[in-house]
Amino acid sequence: MCGIVGYIGPKKPGEVLINGLKRLDYRGYDSAGVAVSSENEIYLQKKKGRIGDLSEKDIPIGKSGIGHTRWATHGRPSDHNAHPFIDCRGEIAIVHNGIIDNFSSIKEELINNGHEFTSETDSEVIVHLLEENYDGDFLEAFKKTVTRINGSYAILAIHKDSNELLVSRNQSPMVIGVGDQENLVASDAPALLEHTKNVKYLQDGDIARITEDNIEIWNENDELIERETKKIEWDAEDAEKGGYEHFMLKEIFEQPKAIHESILGRLTDFNELDLSQYNLDAVQFIACGTSAHAGFVGKYIFEKIAKIPCTLEFSSEYRHSSPSDSYPLTILLSQSGETLDTIAAAREANRRGNDTLAITNVLDSSITREVDDVMYTQAGPEIGVAATKTFTTQVVMLYLLAVEMGIERNVLSKDQADKYRDELRRLPRKVETILNDKEKIKELTESLSKADDIFFVGRNINYPVALEGALKLKEIAYIHAAGYPAGELKHGPFALLTENTPVIAIAVKDQTFEKMLGNIGEIAARDSPVIVVGDQDKELEKLADENYFIPEVPPLFSPLLVNVVLQLISYYTAYRLDRDIDKPRNLAKSVTVE
Amino acid sequence: MKAVILAAGEGTRLRPFTATEPKVMIPVANKPILEYVVDAIVKNGIKDIIMVVGYKRQKIMSYFGNGDDFGANIDYVVQKNQPPTGGTAHALYQTKNKIDEEFIVFPGDNVISEDTVSDLLENMEEYTMLITRSETPSKYGVVTLKKGGKNIENLIEKPERSPSHLISTGIYSFSPDIFDHIEQVMGEGYYDIPSAIEKVRERNEIKAIKTQGDWIDAVYPWDLLHVNGAALKEINKKYNGLIGENVMIKGNVKIGRGTRIRGGTFIEGPTIIGEGCDIGPNVCITSSSSIGDNAKIGPFTSIENSLVMGGVAIGSNSSIVNSVIGDGVKIKNNFSTYSDDKNIETDGTLHKVQDIGAMIAEDTKIGSGVTVEAGVIVGKGCEIKSGSTIRENIDSGSRVM
Repeated sequence: MCGIVGYIGPKKPGEVLINGLKRLDYRGYDSAGVAVSSENEIYLQKKKGRIGDLSEKDIPIGKSGIGHTRWATHGRPSDHNAHPFIDCRGEIAIVHNGIIDNFSSIKEELINNGHEFTSETDSEVIVHLLEENYDGDFLEAFKKTVTRINGSYAILAIHKDSNELLVSRNQSPMVIGVGDQENLVASDAPALLEHTKNVKYLQDGDIARITEDNIEIWNENDELIERETKKIEWDAEDAEKGGYEHFMLKEIFEQPKAIHESILGRLTDFNELDLSQYNLDAVQFIACGTSAHAGFVGKYIFEKIAKIPCTLEFSSEYRHSSPSDSYPLTILLSQSGETLDTIAAAREANRRGNDTLAITNVLDSSITREVDDVMYTQAGPEIGVAATKTFTTQVVMLYLLAVEMGIERNVLSKDQADKYRDELRRLPRKVETILNDKEKIKELTESLSKADDIFFVGRNINYPVALEGALKLKEIAYIHAAGYPAGELKHGPFALLTENTPVIAIAVKDQTFEKMLGNIGEIAARDSPVIVVGDQDKELEKLADENYFIPEVPPLFSPLLVNVVLQLISYYTAYRLDRDIDKPRNLAKSVTVE
Repeated sequence: MKAVILAAGEGTRLRPFTATEPKVMIPVANKPILEYVVDAIVKNGIKDIIMVVGYKRQKIMSYFGNGDDFGANIDYVVQKNQPPTGGTAHALYQTKNKIDEEFIVFPGDNVISEDTVSDLLENMEEYTMLITRSETPSKYGVVTLKKGGKNIENLIEKPERSPSHLISTGIYSFSPDIFDHIEQVMGEGYYDIPSAIEKVRERNEIKAIKTQGDWIDAVYPWDLLHVNGAALKEINKKYNGLIGENVMIKGNVKIGRGTRIRGGTFIEGPTIIGEGCDIGPNVCITSSSSIGDNAKIGPFTSIENSLVMGGVAIGSNSSIVNSVIGDGVKIKNNFSTYSDDKNIETDGTLHKVQDIGAMIAEDTKIGSGVTVEAGVIVGKGCEIKSGSTIRENIDSGSRVM
């Protein structure tokens, strides 16, 4: 899901390109770069990291420029592998999305002809091939190059001596923005909308030459043709939300697929880690925020399935704690893999001599270089600041790990392991069932949106879920919320219960269910409105003011389902309050500061 | 040229299988019906697609997105305030602002093939209706042709006695003037495309093109088996996943990533098995069957000519014949279905159905030793206790003790 932007016209290319790339950041990326044709040379700047890390003021004024964001799926993200690529002489620059199937034979040939490659990417062959084919006519060289390569691609190229953008696409999106005395090109329309709403969609095999005031397009048979100009009627933000009003809701709805992708293969054949090399006498989870809550759920999972004693530490606290003489396996969780406190904690754990394992969603992110082993959640890019599908997939990974560790430690029978795996396999569908009930869950939030304080209570494995529910509500609805173990309410917080403090109680049929019924009774007696989320039960129906019952699931696997309900509760509460759900105030998606 | 796909309806006659997704998103051979339509159009070089969506539209929009993954540019129009029945013209009318030249229209709920579309494109005129031959014409709009067989003479909706075996596929080419005709008939209280066509015929000829390509329709739940079987014809042999010892696979069978086929299992194509499934040991799956993602099929169970959707779990020693099993259905051991010719009653009409087993809608739970008789429809989210025999249709959410 890389992003491409190109510009030709009188504006500062640096500004147009960087803003355009930012509009494509929903596609996910790990490195970014721009090249500008300026005063008969190609200026190049590319970096692993954020678009914001590019220094806009260093980009010279020029006639045209191209930009790219890369989301590595194979191959590591690095400065070298980032786009654009330039040829040996520094006269041509290209960016590319897709895969060049026949790159290795072309590369060999080019190396024999003396070309020097600076990266391991397939994309780089394009620029050297262009250089090889260039004989004073850039368009001719470009056409020749495109006929040589097979695969899927969207290519954008500039030459220092010619005032034009050259574009071609095959099975990879590319759209031209038709401006007034300026033209643009991008892999998706949101990058263009700031400048124009008139676009031309290229079709497979098309080649286009774009100048400030002209657009020529040739089809795959090299016939000069017209492609219709269309007017885009939606605004940039709507484009990638797939009919959902916010990325957060879209991502909540992507959870069945995210779980499916994360368990795929790992259920039938778990071979990515050699567990025998670890000290499995104790496990320590280290993380921040929502990831810490995933680790906290993990503590209960590991203790139950693999019979391993576990502790949980916040990254920012662990760093400054005193080393003890135990050497637990340290599992670090970070969605982005860039959370500074967690990276520092990984270094500290290594220093103390622990085995370290990171669970993250971003390939080759910083944390992966600090630890012994990495497991990737397969959640896909998460844009909403409030973590949803990455929490879910982190917890799914912990179930998978716990089962494998249980087998490794001889505390789990094969039969029982298969039963746990079957439960995991059924999770995507059960989450889907909850999502189909979204209207019912939305109704629960009417009273919540009017409250100033809300309590979340749970017991056992759902206690961390109560914490996570409260965090999510604070984050996006800006309502003060607190999560407690249900038994702790009477040790203080009871003093705050009134008819104006709704309580969301998680009640599943594990060994704490009877106690939970008692707690809910006590809360109701203080006139606090009670919303129950949990297993279907007649008694609960009577006690609670409102309820939502999750699909039948063993208590050990209930946290994921309960949490999806709480995500929707937070979302709809924030929605009723008209909050900026995808970008809550004062918060950032990856916390790369201490 | 643009293609419009009408995908706003629920498909009420397919209830209870449309409880949480529109008919167009029901999977056959593990792909939503609508995807066959999009693929057929794109393969003919048409990329600009406008989808008219309505009922559970997010299921459609989040699946297809902007069309990139399907080689298309997909634009969506929402049909609000759907007329109670037969609102195809009203749905089409929603695209009026996006169309300024001749265009083609497809219903989103029939499985069609590449040549269905090319038959239309090669010979179409300003107003064209694609027609096909049907053995059961009275379920559809029956057409008669004028002398010479080139143009439509008459279109009769669901006649009791059919004057011909030719029916409308609901696939058309139109000039943008069609919107004026639609405006006119809507003013008279009609909201369907056939009524608009009546208006067109007052002034223009409507060319009839008979397609040899696929056009397969599911009206009722039992029709899904037929559609599934037809879609499976296109399946190619491809094995991903882990295949155990002594597994025998014959014919075109496609097995998805991360699926485990345990020892002694027999699979006969055309059959598709999705991703992340756990099948066997000693399971027998015969043609033409589809098994969705993350399904679990226990030992010694046999599945024959059935459509089993995603997340289904079926225990051991069960027999699934000519049946439709919806998403997330959980069945314990020793479950039986059997197949027979049946008269099935829905909405007061009696349908003669051949060789039909059980039809069980999503999230229903079935205990051990249950038998569901031929032709019985079990609703969504039911719970059936062990040992029961189900002889009649059961409403969604029922409990059978």
